[in-house]
Amino acid sequence: MKRMRTLAGISILALVLAACSSGTTDTAAETTAAALDDSNCAAAESFCVGLVTDIGKVDDKSFNQSAWEGAQAAAAEVGGFAKYIETTDTKDYAANMKQFTDKSYDVIVTVGFLMAEASVAAAKENPNTKFIGVDQFQAEEVANLTGLIFPEDQAGYAAGYLAGLLTKTNKLGQVLGLEIAPVQKFAKGFEAGATAANAAVKVTTVYHPPADNGFGDPVWGAAEAKKQLSQGADIIFGAGGGTGNGALIEIAKAEGAGTSIFCIGVDTDQWGTVPEAQPCLVTSAMKGLVEGTSDLVKAAFDGSIKGGNFNGTTGLADYHDLAAAVSADIQAKVAEIVAGLKDGSIMTGVTL
Amino acid sequence: MTITESKKEKDLGFFVRNQSIVVPIVAIFVAFVLGGILISLQGVNPLVAYRAIFSEAWFDSDGLLRTFQKTTPLVLAGLAVTVALRIGLFNIGAQGQLISAALASALAGIYITNLPPILHVIVSLVCGVVVGALWAAIAGLLKAYRGVHEVISTIMLNSIAVGILDYLVSNPFREPDQSLQRTKKIAESAILPNFGVIPFGFILAILVCLLVSWMLNRTTAGFRFNTVGKNKFAASYAGINMKLMIVTGMLLSGGLAGLGGAIETLGITYRFEPAFNSGLGFDGITIALLARSNPLATIPAAILVGTLRAGGASLQFNTGIEPEIVDVLLAITLLLVSAPILAKFLFKGKAQKTANVTSGWGS
Amino acid sequence: MLDFISDNKKSLITLGLVTVIAYVFYFLDEIRTTSVLVFGWGYAVPLVLAAMVGIIGERSGVVNIGIEGQMLMSAFAGFFGSVFTGSIYLGMIIGILTGVLMGAFLAVAAVKWEMDQIIAGVVINIVAAGLTSFFYAQGKTLPELMPVVSIPLLSDIPLIGPVFFRNGLFALSTLFIVVAVNYALFKTRWGLRSRSVGEYPSAADAAGINVTRVRMMNVTLAGALAGCAGAFLALEAAGTFARGLTAGRGFLALAIMIFGAWNPMGALAAALFFGLSTAIASQLQADEVINIPQQFVNLLPFVMTLIVLSIAVGRVRPPAAAGQPYTKEG
Repeated sequence: MKRMRTLAGISILALVLAACSSGTTDTAAETTAAALDDSNCAAAESFCVGLVTDIGKVDDKSFNQSAWEGAQAAAAEVGGFAKYIETTDTKDYAANMKQFTDKSYDVIVTVGFLMAEASVAAAKENPNTKFIGVDQFQAEEVANLTGLIFPEDQAGYAAGYLAGLLTKTNKLGQVLGLEIAPVQKFAKGFEAGATAANAAVKVTTVYHPPADNGFGDPVWGAAEAKKQLSQGADIIFGAGGGTGNGALIEIAKAEGAGTSIFCIGVDTDQWGTVPEAQPCLVTSAMKGLVEGTSDLVKAAFDGSIKGGNFNGTTGLADYHDLAAAVSADIQAKVAEIVAGLKDGSIMTGVTL
Repeated sequence: MTITESKKEKDLGFFVRNQSIVVPIVAIFVAFVLGGILISLQGVNPLVAYRAIFSEAWFDSDGLLRTFQKTTPLVLAGLAVTVALRIGLFNIGAQGQLISAALASALAGIYITNLPPILHVIVSLVCGVVVGALWAAIAGLLKAYRGVHEVISTIMLNSIAVGILDYLVSNPFREPDQSLQRTKKIAESAILPNFGVIPFGFILAILVCLLVSWMLNRTTAGFRFNTVGKNKFAASYAGINMKLMIVTGMLLSGGLAGLGGAIETLGITYRFEPAFNSGLGFDGITIALLARSNPLATIPAAILVGTLRAGGASLQFNTGIEPEIVDVLLAITLLLVSAPILAKFLFKGKAQKTANVTSGWGS
Repeated sequence: MLDFISDNKKSLITLGLVTVIAYVFYFLDEIRTTSVLVFGWGYAVPLVLAAMVGIIGERSGVVNIGIEGQMLMSAFAGFFGSVFTGSIYLGMIIGILTGVLMGAFLAVAAVKWEMDQIIAGVVINIVAAGLTSFFYAQGKTLPELMPVVSIPLLSDIPLIGPVFFRNGLFALSTLFIVVAVNYALFKTRWGLRSRSVGEYPSAADAAGINVTRVRMMNVTLAGALAGCAGAFLALEAAGTFARGLTAGRGFLALAIMIFGAWNPMGALAAALFFGLSTAIASQLQADEVINIPQQFVNLLPFVMTLIVLSIAVGRVRPPAAAGQPYTKEG
């Protein structure tokens, strides 16, 4: 009994200490705009932005992170408040959105095409809240839901075109995450672009085997990249979250990285998000996730946002330090392709 | 004075007699205290954090529904692991059995038509249970007739199930004109309803749990199970057909996991998508161990896990604490429940020695 | 030497057969064969190391199902150790020491406290997954690269040279570790004592062996190998850390251990087999030689393992006392 009492005493002491040490900091840690919190989102003068990630974390160096950066930036710019919830179970999408709608958030950003259906349902249920669905194509228009979609095949095409011109061995590689729509669009675009630039080129395409960690397996990505390199591929496109990042990091270690061996990143400019890859990273096939999200959040703030689909931009990231390795001639040709894709004069021909 | 003393003694006696209940409760409490220290290191008041979890999971009608929904497959997956452990089999394959069943019941819910609602639900559930049981039976047969260890075969079968299901929902059974890899939605008649905040599946899981407990503790079949689990050689001498027991055990275990998967599909997701149901089978192992292979104890164990998982989002929303803290809490609880230190600390010499729930590799 | 051959007949036949087939392919297509083998061995390395952890534990009577968690913690500590000390070598040491620490935890829980061994392992896995995920901080990079070392002469052998003898430090050591564990387990006093503790602890006790001490020591030291496996993944194979980096390799290693009949050489053969079938699956997907969906191609290693096990290996017997805590009578 005495021991029980000791135990209880220690526990209570610990609780009290814990409670005191933390004082009153019981509000969210994810504050961005300094003075605001979400206690008063319903009021007209406060602007609250909530973000629900797909399975995965907000620091994934990939699309969750970019969307969050966009939402944060927009909220800060208009003097609003932003907060996120990380989804751990696909069955919780609706519940996570509800956390925000219960507090009368003005805008809710839902990230990832798996969440499309849950977003539509939540938007219909909360007509006064604006929803932004990143990577979610809207087949029918819901007035308060805007799908931010990207022609991934165009970014892939441009990257493939560059690779097709740059390759010396006429062998290109792709180390990819799971075989799902956005990844397939990148991959098929890459192949189409590469063949358009250089008919002799051969593209090796390998997807991660189906598994829970298809987008978080750098070990596999690195091994696959190594294999493709030694089979003669001199430019490899790594597309698939942590798996692709593993490939980029491995290629950066290769002999000739940055002179004869190159890698191409995906989604964001990975020069910044995966610094280990800098020795080989010639460019990234980018989706304008940060700008797209930020533009839509700002449009929601000033009321100009419309339901339906909003086409985000895609393109190639800067060559950064490797610009010298890409001849002016190639740079000009690639710029032409990027422009042509944008104005619609060049079609990728990719269908899923 | 003496009266209170003797009363105290009596109280203490009560605690000592019921230490199998006292220890887990104290363990949970201590885990929450330790977790609280971790939370306060992040600059958040732990009481606020815990309030966020529980007010969402228990005192909000949507949250409560979700708690029950999350608890349901955990009870069944936990039971699946428990039943196998009782005969000395370690079924790491509950995950594979659960997801195959989830697809099977989805297909039954989609492609079998013209059935009246109740019958359609039953048929779809049965399809799930049968597929889960058969998938587990492969491991059982390999073990009984080829001596292939169930730990290897179930690990392999998990991966094989993931691959096959991925193919099936990418190609033959994919919803037409859909970029997502998923099946169509099941028919209305195959949907398992909710009664207010209580999903029908939860009631079913509790009933099955009672049934399994009764079977293991009160029937001849259960007696055989326990005999095999305690001593294979004795069981063998007593004329128990070991091969049959192994296959039956795996069938039962897989069927239970399969029921969990089927209820997920018919009661919550209404379709199959590879991203659903991830990790449930592995949570089943945690539950079975928390419950120390006692079928009835899987219910509170699953409720604990379900509660923490259901409250995770509210926790992050209200405090910014990452939902992974839930796993830390569970790990500490599991450690304290199963390690004898806590019981020894509380009851000294009177501590019950905990029996092994698992019997090695049970070859 | 002769003993070694007769003791490991099955494994050596498998290894020999694989070698012969590999060389046949090597003469058909040098580059493809070499790169597939490099992939296969790279895949096998953490499995082999982790399987050694399992073997040492179970041979001395302790089931270690927490290898996955031990590896994950070591990978985490190795990576962030390198980041904060600025040296990959210090990171390696920190990773290995973390493995020892995790081994010591299992030893105390399973041997000293006589806790259920499988539960102790599961606890390690859950704690590791929770802590590494909770404390993971993004945006850190390794201060330097893992050096690639070539062993003179050996690395010049066609095929085998570049696959086994031109590698990072961990992959390079793995073959030697396997041979050493094999030798120690079957040819030394320590091995004999360990095995007797795992097979028949009461007899070992009667013969004056301190069962508890042998088990404590073996499980703790085996943790160092789990540390190697984890540090290999983070520092050598991936060059980064990610949540859930080990991705079930610790469990796969258990399968490898049983596949290899609790024998170091057997586990090596099993891991190579598994690594090679994975490599071949990925090569088949890359070459598109056969027109079947990638999902099925990727099932190859798992299906092959089941088939091989059910046809060839048959019944294997674990150490008799694996999983049972030992309490001295009286």
